[in-house]
Amino acid sequence: MFRLPNIQFGKITVFLAVLTWIGLLLVDLTRVFGTVNEIEVGLDSELTWILEILFFILLYLFFSHSIAKHQNDNFLDLIWRAASTGLIAMGVGLLIVGFYVLMQDTPLYADPLLRNFFYHVNFALTSLFLISTALLWKHLILYQRNKSVVQQWQAFEIILLVSMFFVLINKNEFDYGFFFGMTFLIIYSTILSANLKWIPYLTFKEKWKSILFLLTIQISAAFLFFQIMDYSFKNPNLLDLSQNLFMLGLFAFVIIYSLFSFLVTLFNLPTSSVFEQKLIEAINFQRLSQSIQPGEKEEQVLDILMDSCMSAAYVDAAWLEIIPKDAEGREIIHQRFISNDDRLDVRKTIAGTKPFSDHLSKENNEKIEYIYGKISHELYKSALVFPLRVNKKLLGNIFLVKEVKDGFNKEMINIISTFVGQASISVENYRLLNEAIVTERYKEELEIAQRVQRSLLPTELHHNACFEIEGFSAAADEVGGDYYETYQFDATNFALIIGDVSGKGTSAAFNMSQMKGIFHSLVQFGLSPKPFLIHANDALSRCLEKNHFITTTYYLLDTASKKILFSRAGHCPTLYYNATTRRCEFLKINGLGLGMLRNQQYGNFLEEGTLTYSPSDVLVLYTDGIIEAKNQRMEEFGYEQLKYVVNQYHYLSAKEIKEVIIRKVYEFIGKDALPDDDYSLMVIKFIE
Amino acid sequence: MLEIILTKKESHTVIQLNGEVDASNSVELDQAIQAVVAEGTKKILVDGSSLDYISSAGLGVFMSYLEDFQDNEIAFIIFGLNDKVQNVFHILGLDQLITIETGQDEALARLYEA
Repeated sequence: MFRLPNIQFGKITVFLAVLTWIGLLLVDLTRVFGTVNEIEVGLDSELTWILEILFFILLYLFFSHSIAKHQNDNFLDLIWRAASTGLIAMGVGLLIVGFYVLMQDTPLYADPLLRNFFYHVNFALTSLFLISTALLWKHLILYQRNKSVVQQWQAFEIILLVSMFFVLINKNEFDYGFFFGMTFLIIYSTILSANLKWIPYLTFKEKWKSILFLLTIQISAAFLFFQIMDYSFKNPNLLDLSQNLFMLGLFAFVIIYSLFSFLVTLFNLPTSSVFEQKLIEAINFQRLSQSIQPGEKEEQVLDILMDSCMSAAYVDAAWLEIIPKDAEGREIIHQRFISNDDRLDVRKTIAGTKPFSDHLSKENNEKIEYIYGKISHELYKSALVFPLRVNKKLLGNIFLVKEVKDGFNKEMINIISTFVGQASISVENYRLLNEAIVTERYKEELEIAQRVQRSLLPTELHHNACFEIEGFSAAADEVGGDYYETYQFDATNFALIIGDVSGKGTSAAFNMSQMKGIFHSLVQFGLSPKPFLIHANDALSRCLEKNHFITTTYYLLDTASKKILFSRAGHCPTLYYNATTRRCEFLKINGLGLGMLRNQQYGNFLEEGTLTYSPSDVLVLYTDGIIEAKNQRMEEFGYEQLKYVVNQYHYLSAKEIKEVIIRKVYEFIGKDALPDDDYSLMVIKFIE
Repeated sequence: MLEIILTKKESHTVIQLNGEVDASNSVELDQAIQAVVAEGTKKILVDGSSLDYISSAGLGVFMSYLEDFQDNEIAFIIFGLNDKVQNVFHILGLDQLITIETGQDEALARLYEA
């Protein structure tokens, strides 16, 4: 389908409007010529009217298209466009008047054709002005659109359209129908003119400008109206374009609306500062609620708060006293329009005046929202103190002072109270957000540490068909300091280690990973347990903190000779179940924790033990968390109970023994108790 | 819960520990010992008769001063430990590095015998 591109629409309507106007001019000139010379030219007045209607419609289309493009311009620009159109139309009218004054004595003065030509020029400009202004009014009326206003306007447009064709019915006569229509249009225009919601949005300065422009529009409209009327009265015999209901209706609409706007704007002038103030307050409020983004500071919120409070109450001086978190005294921030000396002076006066003195000396009454009163200072006569609380804790006090007595009314206090409340919320939210971010980061770090540490404990323990081995570890915190591992030298030779790092949590976890590194470096040399531990002590002495140590027991297991060599560096003695004697015993040999003696003497404190095992023997390696696990009566699980459990369940498999011990320990401490130490366990059961 | 009571005698200082020493309060113990050492006392006694429990962090505190005691020729004796706590010292091997006596009299005798 063929569609007119939008850009050309304006041009086409202008072109058609001009053509119509020329047609109208020619038709009318011919008719005037016929009238003057009393010749029948065969052109009816209906033709004039139809061309006139066409002209109106084209102009209407053009302007409604053109104003749509400027919809987002501000009001002043739009009003200025209408006013300038009015001025041009008036200017041209005046030029024509001037021309006739000059031509007074020439035959041209009386020439009806020339006069008719100028009449058409004036007519065209007047229509232009009226229609463009009417459409501007439409824009202003519909500024705050709602259904009823839009419907009102649409009805008005239909009425205007009908009024255009009214001329065809009443034959350009002033009859009752015309008067009725005119009255109706005037009343309707008046009703529409109540839609003046755009005016409060103008600033004080803009209001003055719009008053000027509206006055210009009124003067232009009045001038053009009288000009058109004047012609009709002076040339009663010539054709008359003005007795058109549409045109007169538009005159009425343009003048009434501009008059209303003018008056309302004028009377709005004194209150406009209040409206502006409210607007600023609303904006400040929004700034306060949005101001703290991550990365910004509380200071900025307090800055906005002070500005908002000051402008809300027109205060003469203000400052904010912050109570520092740890230090004594007061930190003064955001001091406005007052010198340090003056501030101290006023502060002293306020602190010595009731009711301020009560609050300022105690500062913990949560019920006080604000304190307001007179002060007897030489310059400042009234003061308002607002406590600023975050999370029910006093953050500081806002001091606002004015040079006039009773300078704060209820409205001001209310709005400041709202600002203070909002600022408190903002600061609170900001703090909560920051805390949440920090906690979240810690959590993430801990999760990483946990993952890393889990990977430090072996998932599978080396063994051969001669023995079963099972391990278990649980940390009290996210990360722990317990450690166990195995190593296989060849088909029958193994190394086993279990260790416990002093302290718990993250620091223990770091040291545990050092221990793992040392184990893997040293184990490859196939050292006997004692030299192994001496070397480990030597290495750890250089990297452990002064008050940290590691207890460990190191075992070398040879399944060919069924021999175990072991050394204990301060670690809990290994529990050994001897299937031959059917007894449990702790393998007590002397030893000293790694890192406890950081010199060459360390080896003197170590012993090396040997053990020859038989099938069905059980070795239980554990950390002190198991022994020291406490129940609710603060009793420890203890060595004896562990011994008892192993004695009872030695016949089970390594896995089952491990599970029994864990179950017994957890049963002992109770369901709800949280472990307060790391538990680790390694159970070895010899098969052959 | 840990209560530390310092008693200064003519030529020695007694540090009395009541309650439990664990990771959360081992710093207090550390500060107490540090203060006593800073005063220049050459003879320190630790009364552990009311010490119910000591964790590895608490043992670490004693351990960390061993070198200082040796370098500054400070006599350091712990006495009155209950069996459980004594066992903790023993298993760790710390009883080989620190003099531990059964009671105050024995500790004093040991302190002044030299």
